[in-house]
Formats: sequence, structure tokens, C-alpha cells
Amino acid sequence: MSLEPFNRLVKLAARAFYDDVTIKGENQPKTGRGDNRGMAVIVLDALTRRQWVREEDLAKALKLHTKQLRRALRFFEEEKLVTREHRKESAKGAKIFNAAIAATGDSQQGTKEGDEKMKMHMHSYCCLDYAQIHDVVRYRMHRMKKKIKDELDSRNTIQEYICPNCGRRYSAFDALQLVSMDDEYFHCENCNGELVAESDKLAAEEMGDGDDNARRRRREKLKDMLQKMEEQLKPLVLQLARVKDLPAPEFGNLQAWEARAHAAAQASGDSNAGDSSKNPQAQGYSGTPMPFLGETRVEVALSGVEAKEEIELDTKPTSIKVLPPWMIKQGMNLTKEQRGEVKPDVKVEQSSFSVDEKKSNMDKEDEKSLQDEYLKAYYAALVKRQEEQEASKKVPQDVELAKNVSEAPFERHVGMKSKREGDNDDVEWEEEAPSTGNSGQSYRLADLNVEADASDHDDDEDGIDWEEG
Amino acid sequence: MFFHITLERNMQLHPRHFGPHLRDKLVAKLMKDVEGTCSGRHGFVVAITGVEDIGKGLIREGTGFVTFPVKYQAVVFRPFKGEILEAVVTMVNKMGFFAEAGPVQIFVSNHLIPDDMEFQSGDMPNYTTSDGSVKIQKDSEVRLKIIGTRVDATEIFCIGTIKDDFLGVINDPGAAA
Repeated sequence: MSLEPFNRLVKLAARAFYDDVTIKGENQPKTGRGDNRGMAVIVLDALTRRQWVREEDLAKALKLHTKQLRRALRFFEEEKLVTREHRKESAKGAKIFNAAIAATGDSQQGTKEGDEKMKMHMHSYCCLDYAQIHDVVRYRMHRMKKKIKDELDSRNTIQEYICPNCGRRYSAFDALQLVSMDDEYFHCENCNGELVAESDKLAAEEMGDGDDNARRRRREKLKDMLQKMEEQLKPLVLQLARVKDLPAPEFGNLQAWEARAHAAAQASGDSNAGDSSKNPQAQGYSGTPMPFLGETRVEVALSGVEAKEEIELDTKPTSIKVLPPWMIKQGMNLTKEQRGEVKPDVKVEQSSFSVDEKKSNMDKEDEKSLQDEYLKAYYAALVKRQEEQEASKKVPQDVELAKNVSEAPFERHVGMKSKREGDNDDVEWEEEAPSTGNSGQSYRLADLNVEADASDHDDDEDGIDWEEG
Repeated sequence: MFFHITLERNMQLHPRHFGPHLRDKLVAKLMKDVEGTCSGRHGFVVAITGVEDIGKGLIREGTGFVTFPVKYQAVVFRPFKGEILEAVVTMVNKMGFFAEAGPVQIFVSNHLIPDDMEFQSGDMPNYTTSDGSVKIQKDSEVRLKIIGTRVDATEIFCIGTIKDDFLGVINDPGAAA
């Protein structure tokens, strides 16, 4: 089950329909100080990166006021994009949720300590309802099209009739009085002439009447609008078509999801406690929380690979600020701001590599292609490395080898990895398993243009991995 | 759409009804007066379901008639724009067809009939599709959508369309016979 197409759908829909939506309370004056247009899009985007999320956590992550966020979410709930659940819970209940979050590879710093103090508070959770979003978007498009088409076909207009003799006009409401028993036409009340339907006349001899002119202009406008709509919503339509036959991601309600996430965590054979307590430190604030389902992480669970993957995940969000795919256009150069901005936030663990990092930072000012290359090299090294790991568990030599293969920015990872490996044993690797799905995902997100390639590439790599493992 | 609402009316009762069955007489007269009428505001009064309250009568000077304020509950029928109704076709001509849904007259003009239906004149004028599978003639039952209403003080007239999804003939009198 892949979230990606659905997330893309949500993002496109958000930009198409909710871009200029202002979210404000009923009692707030129209000239409120904050013009929060675009907030809707941000909230939806954030939700695509999460599953069930506590609203307070989301607010914190988005640096929004809880009230504001709640208002936005209520709006989305009315729009049927989001499902929400409210429940009264103690600190313990919150912990269950935290455990579930941790189990999905997510970690939210700061919430842990706060939760201990809470006593039976009402907590709200929210989650995208992908199946419903699919329907809602489709329905919305259908209604839009229908409305314009109806008006174009003048489907709902009242027919008017004109007497060609005396020029008197009648509307269809007068029909009952106009019927004559003699023939099948309407007859004028004044002169008993046969009435002509107005649109027929219009078609017959384009009258230069001002009224008609206005009507024709309106028609033009409608046609134009319809055309524009079709043109501008094309990506959305395509995405809808792509998603049509895919099963929508289903998270179930909050309890079910928690239970599932918990079970999945148990199945993966490591303790939640260790994960959740360790990760916050490891990830820091810069780590984008991307909880994924249990299934995703089962996909790639080769011993030895995970550690590497984990490192990639760690560095990904920090080294490259993930650009949403629709923002990246052909030939667009990713600047330093887009990638290096988050750099200083790297983990404490990596502090020893800060010098390297500065250097790599500079390197990364280059084009995207470098990034691709880097990834390719990385994967190559990954395979190689795994091979060697099978043969001997000696690390340092591998690093040297890998170093030769990889580019400059890559060095850092390898180096770091070796260090980590020295510290941690096998259990550690298994625990990182969930993040494998993530790394591929974030890579794809970062680079829309090579999206298809990337996924192919991924698959290939996976195949090799399996064969060799 | 049907509504069950409470209405009020001042009833004038002739002095000859004053007696043991005054109330019954009053209610009977109310039904006779009100049922089947149409008010622009509430629509057609279909039936009176109950009398809630009869106020104190007031004797009119000079005539001897007594006026009672009566509160009663009634089922009313009022067509709305956008409403879907089922109606019986009463007349078909070149300009379209007329149909009745209870007391309401509805006119469907020919440009609100699907384009694939053509008018066939003759003994039994009708609108028929080119393959002849669907036929609208007198006494056909059609499902239509109201796109306009004209509400007078005593009359409601509607314009309908069958040019939309799921609208059109719902039973064919010819086939049933």
C-alpha cells in the first residue's frame, strides 16, 4: 500500500481548492490582523506526512496556535477531508499514543515530559481520510463541471417566447394561458399570432439586442471558465485517475491504529521504550516526523542494511530541506537556502563531523544531478558494503573502500556509520528497520523530476539486496 | 415538498349553526373552505389533520355572524425550485408538455426535454427517442425537476425539466396496458 499517490492528490487538491481559504472564527472581524491564507495548505501538507496525530503536537510542529489549528481542522472536517477523534485521557492514554507514534518511527520531542503532568484532559486527534478525500475531490470536480455545463446549455433557464407580430414577450410561466386547442403552438393573447421560442430566434438571426449581447458575453465567459478549469485542474484529474484503482490507505479509527502500530512494533522485535527514549535525542528537532505503517517497514529488513538506511534518514531531512514535488520545476536549481538551511541543526552525535559538513554544504550548492549521483554512489556503496559485511564484520577497511567509491558529501555518512556501528550491536540495527521505507520516500519527495526513475532504481536496489542477503 | 404546519383562520359562522353541534359545524366548514385552496405563502392545503384551538367568538354587528379565530394543523404541499417531483403528463404539444403533480401544474418546454427525444404529432402527440424505446405522451408518468416556480396569491405554476440524470419517464402507460 503506497501513500505517495494519495498524498500527492491531497497536496494538489489543497492547492487547487484551499489555497485562498481564510480560516477564521465567526466572531472575528473581517479585517483580522492575520491574513492566514495558505495556512490550510500547510496544515494539509503536514497531515500527509503523518497518520494519526494529536492536534497539540501538530500545532507545535507547525508553530501555530492550537486554536488556529483547531479552527482549520474543523473546517477540514466539515469539508470531509479529515477525521477527528476526541477523547478524555490521562497521562497514560497519552503514553499509549506516544508509543504508537514511536512504533511508526516517529518521535516528537517535548511531548513526553509534558504528558506526565497531564491529568484527564480532552485530547483531539486528527488524520486524513484518504478514501473520503478521493470521493470528495471527485464530487467537487463533478459539481463544478456540471454547474458550468448546465449554465452553458441554458438548462435551467426559463424559456421565453416572443410574438413575432406584436413583439410581446411571454415566459414559460404563462404557458398555461397560451395553449390553444386548435394546434400545437402557443398563441399570443393580443393578436393570436404563433409564438416563437426566443432561443430559436436567437440562433436564427443573431439579434443585436443589448440583452442578448450580455447573454452572449456571459456564454463566452462560461466557456472560457470551463476551458481554464479543465486546463488548470489537469494535474489533479490525472492524479485522480492514477489513484482510482489503488486501494486507499486506511488507518482505521484511533484505537485500531494505535493497536496496530503497537502490534507492529512488537512484531519487529524491539522494545518501544528504547526506541522512543533514544530517538528524540538522535533526531533532534530537525527530523521530520514521518510515521508510516507497519507494513512499509517490513518491506526491507535486511540485517546490516538498516543501520545505513537509518543514517540516511537522519541526514536526509537535515541536509536537504524537502521540497514538495510540485514546487520543483524543470531546470530549477536548488539553492543553498533550500538545502543547507537546516544544516546547523544536525544532531549532537554528528558534532564531530561539523567541519566535514561545512565543506559538504558548499558542495551541495551544485545542481540536483550531484544529488542523484550521490545517491547512486550511496546505493552502490550500500550493496558493496553489505557484501563485505557478510564476509567479515570488520568495519574500518570497509569505510576506506566506500570512501573511494563515494562523493565528498557521502564521506560523512560512511564515517558516521562506522562510528555508530562501533557503538551499537545487532539489536540496534533491527530497531532502525522502520526507517527504511522513509528514506526512499523522502528521496522521491525531494525530486519529482526523477520520480519514476527513482522508484525503479529503488526497486532494483532492493532486488539486489535480497538476492545477496 | 409536504409540510405539516399550524395555520390560523378567522371563521365566520352563520347564526343558524348555533346550537349543540356548533364545534362540529365549525370544523366541517373549515375543511370545506380551506382544503384544496392554495396560498402563495404556504402552498396547497392538502388536508386538515386537527383543530388545535378555537378562540372566543365575536358577534359581528348588524349581521349576526360570529367570527371564531381557529388554529388548525394542516398538511400543505409547496413545490420548490430544484425539487424532484413525479408527475402525470396531461398534455403534449409542440412546445413541450404539461404535467400535474397533485394540484400543481408543471410545464416542461421542449428545450428542457432531452435532445434525443423528438416530437411526433398525430392522434396521440408524444415525444419519442429515435429508437422508440422511450415515449412521453398523455398519462405517462415522468420524474422531473422543478427549475422555476411562479407563486401567485391563489395559484402555483412550475417549470420543470427532464434534461438531467435520472429524470424522464418512470412508467409507460402503453406498456402497462
